[in-house]
Amino acid sequence: MPLVEVIDVSKEYANGEETIRPLDGVSLSIEEGDYVSLMGASGSGKSTLLNLIAGIDQATAGEIIVAGTDITKLSRGKLADWRAAHIGYIFQTHNLIPVLTAYENVELPLLLLPMSSGERRKRVEIAMEAVDLTSRATHYPRQMSGGQEQRVGIARAIVANPTVVVADEPTGSLDDETTEQILQLLSRVNEELNMTLLMVTHDADAGARARRRIRLERGRLMENGKELQTAKLHTA
Amino acid sequence: MLKFIPYVFKSLWRHRARTLLTVSGTAVALLVFCFIGAVQQGMLALTSGDDAGRTLIVFQENRFCPQSSRLPQDYESTIAKLPGVQDVVPVKVFTNNCRASLDAIVFQGVQPEKLKAWRDIDLQSGNWSAFSGQDDAALVGIDVATRRGLSVGDKFTIGDVSVVVQGVFKSPAAAENNLIFTQLDFLQRARGANDVGTVTMLEVHLNDTADPEALAKQIDQEFHAGPVGTTTRTKGMFQADTLADLAELIGFVHWLGYACVGLVLSLVATTTVMSVQDRIKEHAVLQTLGLRPLRVFSLVMTESLLLSTLGGILGVAGSVLLLSSAGMSVAAEGVTIAFEPSLSLAMQGLVVAVAVGVLAGLAPGWHASRTEIVPALRHA
Repeated sequence: MPLVEVIDVSKEYANGEETIRPLDGVSLSIEEGDYVSLMGASGSGKSTLLNLIAGIDQATAGEIIVAGTDITKLSRGKLADWRAAHIGYIFQTHNLIPVLTAYENVELPLLLLPMSSGERRKRVEIAMEAVDLTSRATHYPRQMSGGQEQRVGIARAIVANPTVVVADEPTGSLDDETTEQILQLLSRVNEELNMTLLMVTHDADAGARARRRIRLERGRLMENGKELQTAKLHTA
Repeated sequence: MLKFIPYVFKSLWRHRARTLLTVSGTAVALLVFCFIGAVQQGMLALTSGDDAGRTLIVFQENRFCPQSSRLPQDYESTIAKLPGVQDVVPVKVFTNNCRASLDAIVFQGVQPEKLKAWRDIDLQSGNWSAFSGQDDAALVGIDVATRRGLSVGDKFTIGDVSVVVQGVFKSPAAAENNLIFTQLDFLQRARGANDVGTVTMLEVHLNDTADPEALAKQIDQEFHAGPVGTTTRTKGMFQADTLADLAELIGFVHWLGYACVGLVLSLVATTTVMSVQDRIKEHAVLQTLGLRPLRVFSLVMTESLLLSTLGGILGVAGSVLLLSSAGMSVAAEGVTIAFEPSLSLAMQGLVVAVAVGVLAGLAPGWHASRTEIVPALRHA
């Protein structure tokens, strides 16, 4: 059974008197351990789909099942608990908490889980080591470069060992050299830690690093030139 | 929630100037609130309690200032014979200022044995025998002693009255701590021979069965046709009548206390709203990481509570320190209202601070917890 199932999902919102429908009955399945890139033109709805899967936005119609839970049926509070346990989110602009050190930023998601302080410390150290930032643990975001901030963001996303790591344009605000480092790090996260990764990007080179490359065109999901259909999901 | 306390403190420290200004503003407002409360409590203490209802004060009819009330001292023996009267204490009062004043000095001349019998005073320094044995000796209330820097052995002069301090006392009745007791005959002679044989008032202590109102009428009737007419009231009523003008002012001032509470509310609420508006995106990030809306609400509430409670603690502590160290009081017509700190007042101040913190955090906390994550993440 796929780890993530997006079944006939639509999303629409009002913009003045106009109704915009970035997703129109899309379907997608992602297996455990997959590394999927989601590409498309600006405004095509790729970030919207990612946010729906991450449980921070509500679908207008359809079902999203992650690790057996239909998250479209969860209340706000339950959805927050579910995100804490199952989702690691990497933002384009890092979004670290400025008053917390790198260590404290990475520790933040673990504060929401039942865990001893010793276990928390161990997990944070492992995550910091994975992104090669142990020496910057006591630094504040303002004391770090953009690339270092993003690596802290990645450590924060993986520290709780989530079911799915989602990344929204993770290299969008970085220079070429740092972009390369971050992409390599994401590949390691997928390969060495065996984490399922869904990355939204408009950068074709970045998208090419993923094992599966999906495009969102005019509200439809396309893979290898074919539209993904619900019926195909369960045979995939 | 406790795991997030360091984050809350760091968030408050992020805009330290704003936080410090809010805390100090809250502290000043709570200090004023407690100060006003102390004045009101002082007033209440004078007009309530057993002593206020079971002791009668006989004053010269139609006189208000103690300087102008001159009752023959021999009224004492006439009143003492009335049924229901346990004892009569003749008191001569001298004050340097009959009008309302923050530093009025009030002397009360009382016979030493009656002073010891009827006033619950505890000598902090000096001794009774020195007081009883020396004509111009005085026992000084601790608040006057603090205010004027007096101690045993000091000579003290106000107007025509010069005394030697032979003791500093403390009384559970806060207003008494602002009095100076001398011997009765000394104070009668201190301003010339004209006052000998007269007293300002007679304090009538009743036994348990006596009806104060009936006895007050009886006393006034007794002297109705005498050389000097009297007005007799319970001690509480006498003090309330004497301080009527001040009481009106104090009644008005209590609205300023409420204004202080309003000020704290608007100050803390403004800071909390600004803090939430500054961190719309940050709260969205925290929710993305898995913080429940209720927890975001709690974080904002905790910040608001910390601001007001910290300000409250500082303000209450400041007021307690000020009130206990300065020995402040206001007196009019020889009656003194003492501004004393009390545990109940301190608790009241802290409860107000906590309640205001809760109220101030409600709306911004609700707003922060209901923020839609995706639009908030796009917020600059």
